Amino acid sequence: MNPLLLAIKQKLIVFEKLLAAVCLLLLLLLSLSQVIMRNLFELGFAELDTLTRHLVLFVTFMGAALISEGNKHIKIDCVTATISERSKQKLKRPLYFISALVCSVFSWYAVVFWLDEKNYAPASEQFALYLALILPAGFIILSLHFLLLSLIRDDSTQYTDTDDSLIDTLAKQSELPSGSGQQQ
Amino acid sequence: MILLLFIVVLLALLGLPLFIALAAGGLYASYATELNPSILIIELYRLANQPNLMTIPLFTLAGMTMAAGGSPQRLIKLFNALLGWMPGGLAMAAIVACAFFTAFTGASGVTIIALGGLLYPLFMQSNYPERFSLGLLTSSGSLGLLFPPSLAILLYGIVSGTNIDELFLAGIVPGIILLVLLSLYSYKSARHWHKPAHPFSWSVLASAVRESLWDIFLPILVIVGIFGGFVTISEAAAVTAAYALFVEAVVYREIKLLDDLPKILIDTAKLVGSILIILGVAMGLTNILIDTQLPSRLLAFTDSFIHSPLEFLLALNLFLLIIGAMMDIFSAIVVVVPLIMPLAHRYQIDPVHLGIIFLANLEIGYMTPPVGINLFIASQRFGKSILTLFRSAMPFLGIMLIWLLMISYIPALTLWWK
Repeated sequence: MNPLLLAIKQKLIVFEKLLAAVCLLLLLLLSLSQVIMRNLFELGFAELDTLTRHLVLFVTFMGAALISEGNKHIKIDCVTATISERSKQKLKRPLYFISALVCSVFSWYAVVFWLDEKNYAPASEQFALYLALILPAGFIILSLHFLLLSLIRDDSTQYTDTDDSLIDTLAKQSELPSGSGQQQ
Repeated sequence: MILLLFIVVLLALLGLPLFIALAAGGLYASYATELNPSILIIELYRLANQPNLMTIPLFTLAGMTMAAGGSPQRLIKLFNALLGWMPGGLAMAAIVACAFFTAFTGASGVTIIALGGLLYPLFMQSNYPERFSLGLLTSSGSLGLLFPPSLAILLYGIVSGTNIDELFLAGIVPGIILLVLLSLYSYKSARHWHKPAHPFSWSVLASAVRESLWDIFLPILVIVGIFGGFVTISEAAAVTAAYALFVEAVVYREIKLLDDLPKILIDTAKLVGSILIILGVAMGLTNILIDTQLPSRLLAFTDSFIHSPLEFLLALNLFLLIIGAMMDIFSAIVVVVPLIMPLAHRYQIDPVHLGIIFLANLEIGYMTPPVGINLFIASQRFGKSILTLFRSAMPFLGIMLIWLLMISYIPALTLWWK
């Protein structure tokens, strides 16, 4: 266990959560203001449309990074049903490392793409260009998150996020009476 | 290179996140076709040009807010007051409440988690057999998938380029038929063993309606808003999310903005991120596959043994049931839809009809092993084995298969409005 890596991961999670929450709230507020302006005042701002569409990308990348924690990404892991819990645990860190590697390659091509865009984008698209920085930044954050997960010995015991997720809270709210949930 | 592809597939089966497997597949495909891998990023960036994409996070936010704000309890109370007095009434109440709730939460498992835990003890108290109760609750996690503003319909519309308004309209009748079929089965089964827990009471119903009035108004707002032509889908999404927040925070006071809102926003972002990141990376891969004429080759292959739209629909149902049993619904939409769209066009299947068939198959796939997500969530929630739950869900699965055949071969059920 490396305390420094854990501390970095904790800071990264805080940053991802903050950015995800702020961007989603901003998306809601801007979309709502667009509805009001369009329908009541017949006004519309192209820049706001551009911003809201890019905010979806911000939310996507931050959400994807956050869900890496606890290994909760959507998978098609049919084979894991047939292997032991111990083998599953052994597989986790190499899979995280491969994920970090693939995201790093995507980060590289996202940087290349962004630099190309920067060279050729007309003046009218400069705003969108800077918002498009989320592509390289998003993949870099994903790579870093997966890399930290692969380097920290057991993410399930070192998970530093103390907040219950909404799903956990809902499950607690509608807790089944004791005795009704025994494995058969 | 083929070995590399085999390794990626193997790693995916061993638990590599699907979006990473698709990203690796995209890199492989770009190298194999000598295309610059930057094309994968260009395709991903196309997401920012999709005007309807913002509906996904906003409708999800609305669903998450309702879930956190006690909407499940109010809905169960309402539908139990309305239907609970007749044989199988509690089951019918569960079916309608789950469908209502799933339409807003996108069949993401929240329904079984939020409603299942509340309904299961009620079933036990009302002497419903355990097997029936488990089967119903396992199946009900995806019942509202065809009702607006279902996340799956939104995603299908975005990926296939089909009009989302038309998909919403087309899903209503098939969705209602499924609820009726399952309710009839519940009524018939419950006549032998269920004594209604309470007689019908106008005063109880009126009290439940008063309590959940703001919840009931939400789907009305969406349907009237969109089909009445008052708002676009993206506007409806923003209004719905704002309405849900207002109702839960101000009217019911179930949500504290400072304490609960951040948690709701983060959970919404996680759900949205897990789906849209797959869409983003898969867009590049599918585009390369289309460039390599894969759909044309598939077309040539199917032409050799499929000669009519009827045969095509039958083969499609079989194929999608297998896909539904192997893949999560959102991944299946992203990966499979671009490949089957040209085939459906060749056999003159209406894209809206195709969408409803596609989603209905995957709805059934939710409760089919090996990766039917309802089975896994119900297994965790009720502490039963996957096999027990699958066996319990068999009668419901049978009804859903009959329903699937109905909507596949009677296009009028989905296209009545055309």
